[in-house]
Amino acid sequence: MQTAEPMRIALITSAFFSLSCAQALLAKEIDFESDIQPIFLEHCYDCHGPKKQKSGLRLDLRTSAFRGGEEGTVIVAGKSGESALIAHVSAAPEDEKRMPPREHSKDGLTGDQIKALTKWIDSGASWPDEFAGQDERLSHWAWQPVTEKETLLPENFTANPVDFFVRRKLEQAGLTMSPEADRRTLIRRLSFDLHGLPPTPKEVESFVNDPDPLAYEKLVDRLLESPHYGERFARHWLDIAHYADTHGFERDKRRDSAWRYRDYVISVFNQDKPYDQFLREQIAGDVLSPDDSEAVVATGFLAAGPWDFVGQVETKSPLLRRSARALDLDDMATQVMTATMAMTVNCARCHDHKLDPISQEEYYQLWSVFAGVKREERVISEAALKEYESQKETLMEERDRLDFEIGRREGKGFDLADIVGGGNGLGTGKFRRGIDVRSAAVQEREFGRLGNVKVNQFKPSKFAFIDGVVIPDGQDGKAEIPVSSTGMTVTGLPSTSGEAWDMIRNGPVASQHSNELSGIDFTKGGHSLIGLHANAGITFDLEAIRKASGIEEMRFMTLAGYFGKEGAMQADVFVLLDGKKVVELRGLKRADGAEAVDLFLPASARFLTLLSLDGGNGIGHDQVGFGDARLKPERPARLTPKEQALLTQLRSKKSSMEEKIAELGDPPRVYAVVPEEELPEIRLLRRGDTESPIGAPLPPGAFAMLEALDPNLGSLETGQGERRVALANWITDSENPLTSRVLVNRLWHWLFGQGIVNTPSDFGLGGDRPSHPELLDWLAGEFAKREWSIKSMQRLLLTSETYRQDSRFSGESSGVAVDAGNRLLWRQNPSRIEAEAIRDAVLTVSGKLNRKRGGPGFETFDYKEAYAPIYTYETADEPALWRRSIYRYLVRTTPDRFMTTLDCPDPANLTPTRMTTTTALQSLALYNNEFMLLQARYFADRVEKEVGSDPEKQVTRCFALAFGREPSPEEVAVAREFLKAEGLFLFCRSLFNANEFVYVD
Amino acid sequence: MSDAWKLFDPNAPSPVRDNQDLLNRRHFFGKTATGIGGAALASLLGRDGFSADIPPRRTGLPGVPHRDAKAKRVIYLFQNGGPTHVDLFDYKPQLSKLHGQKLPAGYVEGKRFSTMTGKADGKLVLNNIEPFRQYGQSGAWVSDLMPHTGAIADDLCFLKGMHTDAVNHAPAISFMLSGAQIPGRPTMGAWLTYGLGIEGDNLPGFVAMTSISKGTSCGQIFYDFYWGSGFLPSRYQGAKFRGTGSPVLYLENPDGMSPKMRRNMLDDLAELNQLKYDQAGDPEISTRISQYEMAYRMQTSVPDLTDLSDEPQHVLDMYGPDVKEQGTFAYNCLMSRRLIERGVRFVQCMHAGWDQHNSLTTELYNQCRDTDQASAALVKDLKMRGLLEDTIVIWGGEFGRTPFIQGDINNRPRWGRDHHPYAFTSWVAGGGFKPGMSFGSSDDLGVNVVEDPVHVHDFQATLLHQLGIDHEKLTYRFQGRRFRLTDVHGHVVNEILA
Repeated sequence: MQTAEPMRIALITSAFFSLSCAQALLAKEIDFESDIQPIFLEHCYDCHGPKKQKSGLRLDLRTSAFRGGEEGTVIVAGKSGESALIAHVSAAPEDEKRMPPREHSKDGLTGDQIKALTKWIDSGASWPDEFAGQDERLSHWAWQPVTEKETLLPENFTANPVDFFVRRKLEQAGLTMSPEADRRTLIRRLSFDLHGLPPTPKEVESFVNDPDPLAYEKLVDRLLESPHYGERFARHWLDIAHYADTHGFERDKRRDSAWRYRDYVISVFNQDKPYDQFLREQIAGDVLSPDDSEAVVATGFLAAGPWDFVGQVETKSPLLRRSARALDLDDMATQVMTATMAMTVNCARCHDHKLDPISQEEYYQLWSVFAGVKREERVISEAALKEYESQKETLMEERDRLDFEIGRREGKGFDLADIVGGGNGLGTGKFRRGIDVRSAAVQEREFGRLGNVKVNQFKPSKFAFIDGVVIPDGQDGKAEIPVSSTGMTVTGLPSTSGEAWDMIRNGPVASQHSNELSGIDFTKGGHSLIGLHANAGITFDLEAIRKASGIEEMRFMTLAGYFGKEGAMQADVFVLLDGKKVVELRGLKRADGAEAVDLFLPASARFLTLLSLDGGNGIGHDQVGFGDARLKPERPARLTPKEQALLTQLRSKKSSMEEKIAELGDPPRVYAVVPEEELPEIRLLRRGDTESPIGAPLPPGAFAMLEALDPNLGSLETGQGERRVALANWITDSENPLTSRVLVNRLWHWLFGQGIVNTPSDFGLGGDRPSHPELLDWLAGEFAKREWSIKSMQRLLLTSETYRQDSRFSGESSGVAVDAGNRLLWRQNPSRIEAEAIRDAVLTVSGKLNRKRGGPGFETFDYKEAYAPIYTYETADEPALWRRSIYRYLVRTTPDRFMTTLDCPDPANLTPTRMTTTTALQSLALYNNEFMLLQARYFADRVEKEVGSDPEKQVTRCFALAFGREPSPEEVAVAREFLKAEGLFLFCRSLFNANEFVYVD
Repeated sequence: MSDAWKLFDPNAPSPVRDNQDLLNRRHFFGKTATGIGGAALASLLGRDGFSADIPPRRTGLPGVPHRDAKAKRVIYLFQNGGPTHVDLFDYKPQLSKLHGQKLPAGYVEGKRFSTMTGKADGKLVLNNIEPFRQYGQSGAWVSDLMPHTGAIADDLCFLKGMHTDAVNHAPAISFMLSGAQIPGRPTMGAWLTYGLGIEGDNLPGFVAMTSISKGTSCGQIFYDFYWGSGFLPSRYQGAKFRGTGSPVLYLENPDGMSPKMRRNMLDDLAELNQLKYDQAGDPEISTRISQYEMAYRMQTSVPDLTDLSDEPQHVLDMYGPDVKEQGTFAYNCLMSRRLIERGVRFVQCMHAGWDQHNSLTTELYNQCRDTDQASAALVKDLKMRGLLEDTIVIWGGEFGRTPFIQGDINNRPRWGRDHHPYAFTSWVAGGGFKPGMSFGSSDDLGVNVVEDPVHVHDFQATLLHQLGIDHEKLTYRFQGRRFRLTDVHGHVVNEILA
């Protein structure tokens, strides 16, 4: 790095020499050491030296001096006229830009000094190697190679080295370890630490009474092998990745396939995938193994954070787009570097890092690594998708056929909304699928106001039961509006704006104000809705339906209404039979509620047309809907016993087909990253401002501060995939001292409540120093030896005496005076369990925990599609919602208040360390939240069922379940009295609120 | 003995240090208080400010306030949607002269507006909807839409040179409240309770309330991050008081549970925890006991807070006809006063519905009707009680609205204005701000600030200054750098301070 500089200067210098020899001779008089450096030392270093770098400028290091500061280069070798340095020092004293400033030096530099600087620059700004300066920050402990610490161990050392290193420090401080905790405490601690769940009374009992001297080790192994282990540690990693299931920002849309990444992380921990492979897959799995579904899903890591839909997609302003994309890249780059190497690279976005040796240029070279990808839902692999789709199609076809056969025999009639959604009228259509009113094309995505609108043109549909669509404009009653493919027309309709909005939909239209009218939500519980925003018309082919169903005479029934906002807004609604107006609802408003329509359709009727017109006041809010629109047979079908039997058979076939479809699940897609069409150029952004790019395009690069590694990750020609592969390799290189240190420190932090370095995502100069540097390096070395096996490292930590210590202590303990913060680990740290563990523990104790693993997250909210989607929380009171908290569907803008109150962090931020607070609102939540009350009720029911009504037995059982121990005689006394006065339910509720319930140890 | 583990700059707030403090304090008590009765310990921990984990810190951070505070608390009447400055407070006679004409050159070139407007060149100037008149000694111009505000103009300090960076609602609101356009940063109320602690015993230090005008067509969502604590501990986030039912989530005892039962249960719980405490000696247990006590006190004090029977009729009348209806802006205004009287430090009343893209001639009237009287009443009420001196009341939104039209100039019922970040007006009252003042001005059409601009970060710096806080010093270390409300910007606007 430092050798590159003189080269550049030399080149400029030689160019200059060829220009002017005379000046070069003059320059001989200037010597950097005696003429220039003393000026810098006296006048500049205070603000532009090792302590401060005002305006990002540092003059004591050659590299930084030539790089310049926020305002750009300050020394242009050979050209004093273009060098800002000269402009600054020679400015008038009252000028703000005069350097040094007046308050530091009244007169500034002398004329001779200015001359010397000018000459020095004009002569090529020669700065000899011996004065290049040492960046003292490079000697920071964290950037140094991991050194061998094995030699520190005594010869033939067979005990756990972790304890050796911890004891050494304790002895230096005159402290000793606390005794080992009792077995009950140990199993509770291990269960929460490794599974995030309390042990069952049976597990406690069998461990406490296990005579095997290796009982503890056996327990550790058993817990590490359980699938609950991955569920626990995935949560830690997802905090670091700020994972959630929605975008965040203003339009907080759903990411329904993001969960596959969450499941991937769980499985990585459970199968103990080597950590370096885990990292490589998360950064570049799609490139390294494009056909391996797991590796592709892993890149969900890069997409886990928030994403601004408005700024990235919706806005038309290129400026806003650039600024949203900048946030996006910063988020990706920051997440990767803090998670893997605890580097706070984000601090170098507007200027060089203020503390760490990370230049702004390096930061943007990191952008260059990720510039070629964007976050998007993608297929896991084409082959997987094809396979899935063909399977699903076969099953669906069969299900549809059965459905149709059943429907025919049941005589339930046809749901017209289902037909709009591409179905057969019996439930095979897709909810919210739409038909384009301009072309009759099928559309899945949402539209707003439509362009290219042509009124009064009938467009035939390819669906068998739909004849076609039209955008009607009555033109004051004069227009002859075509309403069928056979040329039927209607006249006498009012004028409209001739505009149209979104599609005709099976369900609400885009941005529909409400799905509710007259107290019915038409998107729920067996109801259906045709969304027909003005101006639009659709004609159903009754003859085709008759032919397929065999039904002759039918009735058309629906609840038509205005689903837009209340107020002055209104629309006109018409129903036509073979082009004749049979229903006319003019000036329909929300206040009118749902209008019931019931029409007889004779066997001769061929076309049924539904029309919505804007009422002459524009199309705003004119969300007309036809609720529960059905064609029913005029007479119920009569079935022979034989047909009846067939019907039963068909029904059972159908339900087994539906099970098969459900088993197939969602398509194999995941919210991850895909390549940009073109690889964009990245330049350094002055002060981080997207509108001020400067300099040449930057090739991908990492950081020069790790001397053992080459920061060069490719050239401008390197493809986006290769760029990420190069970064992944750089991060997981065996010579990279940070990656392994950072991970073993996280493992320590997760088990001991604080890290050896207490800022797990900042190993820089602003972070914490390691409390046990030798131990940290020994662990990092050991991690490499154990081939990056996380479980193996955890086994090592868990079986140490350090981990097994008691957390309790007496006031007289010398640790209190010497090391109250317990950084030296003279005892284990007690800790409050996190929000997720509290919820999971409550479910475990009440006996309601649903241990179903994996798959889409469970939703404890009501979801409403809107411009900005609305999530309204409801109390989770059914088995499907009693799953472990790791499977919650996480909404960024609208977090679950109960969980937030218990310190569940905001996934807008990267969370290396969970906070623990104790507040009155927490007490209220644990006391009165409906979920807690219901679970306390189930807890009481469970205890009553298990031990009957004897109070003493009840108390014992309650304590065993909630605390994993027997009550003391005093506790029994208190509890019995309480039971007598208030009953078992309130007692159970109290236990959920007891300190011991939410604390490990 | 090695010093390697004593690593922390004692004056740098950080999660590490918080944790360290907590442990040290806890162990201080763990050592010295053994033998003192548990109850005495609990009360010790609860009241003397020693326990870092009595939430939030009663005494605030060491060294905060940095200077004499002119104000102790804030009521922020936040007007979501972007109130139209040229129709309410920033009188521009030139608008009527140019009404219907193309915006002259030199005003909007190269500026960005929201998605809807795109480029503003060639848009038509739109006159103010209602006439303005001058009020009081100060002669402040206020629209006829806001007669009650006009009547107290001599108590207000109008900031007519406000400007912001964001053009869309959520980023702009977030910017105003947290200093950053992206969600996830601590909001003003969180910073203040973090820095200063709270005053009262029975209520949270930072309360947020929301309301929306009836019949408004622009449904805007109130996101939780508008009163979030970001990366600060969650105890500093605003407690959302709800518009219906019990104001505090989970406050009410479930049906069939009498206060006496609750008390019994609490005592029982205390006893169980106490037994555990006697055995383990961990003062964290006492903290939790005290938080259950605090929860109980909240349960008993909130009904008193919301019981308006002690308000004289003339006070109720002053706030207007909606004052008794929970969830209205008027109700929230009155509640703000009652909250600060009970020691709440920061009240954030958010009222949505100012987003008149096509409804200036209809919904703007509703908005003014719903907010004008109650806002003015709050200022008068505080003044009568002597509370205005050390309480800052702020009225303002996230940006202004374009002086040019959105919509068809010939279709008056659908007149509208788009978002406008380049100049807008907010007003401030009390708390050491100069009354009867108008500071800064926009050009003759209200498009750009031409004199004494006040950027959002300047505004935030000034507010903190009045509360005794140096905005550059109230910081929190997160993700490798020190964050603050004003990011790396902001200058105190001394000219508006008394």
